[in-house]
Amino acid sequence: MDAKLDMFEDVNTSPSLEGDMSIPGRRTTTTTSQNGVPDYNTLDEPIRETVLRDIRAVGIKFYHVLYPKEKSSLLRDWDLWGPLVLCTLMATILQGSSSADSMADNGPEFAQVFVIVWIGAAIVTLNSKLLGGNISFFQSVCVLGYCLTPVALALIICRVILMAKHTRFLFFLRFVTTTLGFTWATYASFIFLGQSQPPHRKPLAVYPIFLFFFIISWLVLSHN
Amino acid sequence: METPTADDLLQFRDYSATNNSGAPAQINVNSPTHATSGGNFNAQQQQQQQRQRGDPLADLIYDMSSSTAATAGGGGGAGAQGASLDGAANVGGAGAGGARLSFLTIEYYQQFFNVDTYMVLERIVNSMIPKRAASNYLRMNIGENPDLYGPFWITITLIFSIAISGNIASYLQLADDSYQWHYNFHLVSYAATCIFLYANILPAILWALFKYSLKPVDQADAIETDSATYTPTLLSLMCIYGYSLAIYIPVSILWVINISLLQWLLVITAAMLSGTVLIAVLTPALRNSQYSLFLIVGILSAHVILAAGFLLYFFHSPPDALAAGPKPTLPQVLPPAHMVQQAVSQQPVVGDLPQANQTG
Repeated sequence: MDAKLDMFEDVNTSPSLEGDMSIPGRRTTTTTSQNGVPDYNTLDEPIRETVLRDIRAVGIKFYHVLYPKEKSSLLRDWDLWGPLVLCTLMATILQGSSSADSMADNGPEFAQVFVIVWIGAAIVTLNSKLLGGNISFFQSVCVLGYCLTPVALALIICRVILMAKHTRFLFFLRFVTTTLGFTWATYASFIFLGQSQPPHRKPLAVYPIFLFFFIISWLVLSHN
Repeated sequence: METPTADDLLQFRDYSATNNSGAPAQINVNSPTHATSGGNFNAQQQQQQQRQRGDPLADLIYDMSSSTAATAGGGGGAGAQGASLDGAANVGGAGAGGARLSFLTIEYYQQFFNVDTYMVLERIVNSMIPKRAASNYLRMNIGENPDLYGPFWITITLIFSIAISGNIASYLQLADDSYQWHYNFHLVSYAATCIFLYANILPAILWALFKYSLKPVDQADAIETDSATYTPTLLSLMCIYGYSLAIYIPVSILWVINISLLQWLLVITAAMLSGTVLIAVLTPALRNSQYSLFLIVGILSAHVILAAGFLLYFFHSPPDALAAGPKPTLPQVLPPAHMVQQAVSQQPVVGDLPQANQTG
């Protein structure tokens, strides 16, 4: 049988489609270098490269918390380095002295601050999941931890203010700083976590976040 | 392999799959109607791939079906669980059949959080104003849908509001410009212990008393038997008690004002209001009990003791401490706390214990 096969040149009248193909069974990325993980073998690179890559990711997240406009990167690539650094910093500054000084601050111990931050974040996340939110556990803990950044900044400023002599005006200044940090933290976490809840339950999910930051801000304010 | 002829090309043939992993390759096209959703997965979607969202109608159907699947699993479990949840661990309900949820999944616990904002607010208001709730509130409203969100967060809020207000009150009582405010973190632990015991142990005791003190029912009186044998479930009682603590949150904030008469007035009013609500809501169950009078007295007195205990321990300064004049050491504001500290300071213990010279 004699068959004829006509081959036509592809006339490029339509706009070209772009995309990528992901084949399961191999490591895939839906878009290129979104999470910064390269496709090549990272075993041979210098350690500085490896460390800097992670540090860059953490720094980007800090930036997104301080200027909460773009939501997705904090949620997509969660990590817990930032919360750990912030929690350790705050617990170190907040801890009461254990010496027998009569004027020593009877504040929370290092472990108490740690427990409050981590168990508090876990409980708030659990509450959000039980109410039917569709966010994963570690994403939420990551967001809550990173949103401690304004509170930690307020703590550092308060510590600096405390070096001067104690007066009413300075207490008022500390109060204003702490309130500012608290509102900023709640607003930032509301932006990141607010979308994950069904609308008729959103206040129910936001209230524990508010309480969490309120308690930590209280610890910051009452530290002297 | 030989070059395929024209015949080969024009015939249909089965070629073996080159991709042996089982799932087909997925092609993502970067065009606006096929933007993929964010990387959020929950436990239910683990098996599914990321779904392309483009068609609004298909997305709506998908969302509604997935949400009803989530609530159907919870609703079916809630109906069966609400009536039969006993104090002992309800292991029988765990994994018994396809419709029952295992207590190891998170969906099992989601049925206890099946409330909306307005429902929580409604229940809080019902716990503050007597007679606002209907007479079958316990059985029909709380009994059908007991929630753990309200009790849990109200107790947490109450713990921290008492601790914070207690610290503010002690600061204001001793304030002068040269006085360095000392923050007593241990008020939180004491408050937490008291409130959790009250909100958890007392409902358990009450539940047991209700269950084992039912009045014997005359079987001939068929009309009354259903409501005459009604005892509330443990979860309903915990829910009621949790919400009844809600009135103490604004009261504890108002306790900061250091006028003793006002503080006692607040205590009495709050205890009377929420005590009345408790009795009114529990009336259908109290009617069926043999010891109804004792139970009423017990419930009310526990409530009053809790409120008075808060006031005395956290807020009240004994008059003799202030009348004795300024002492060289720091004034003792809270004598019970001071005695605890002295007893404790005899034995050095590693951890978060106060020093001997610290007060609240």
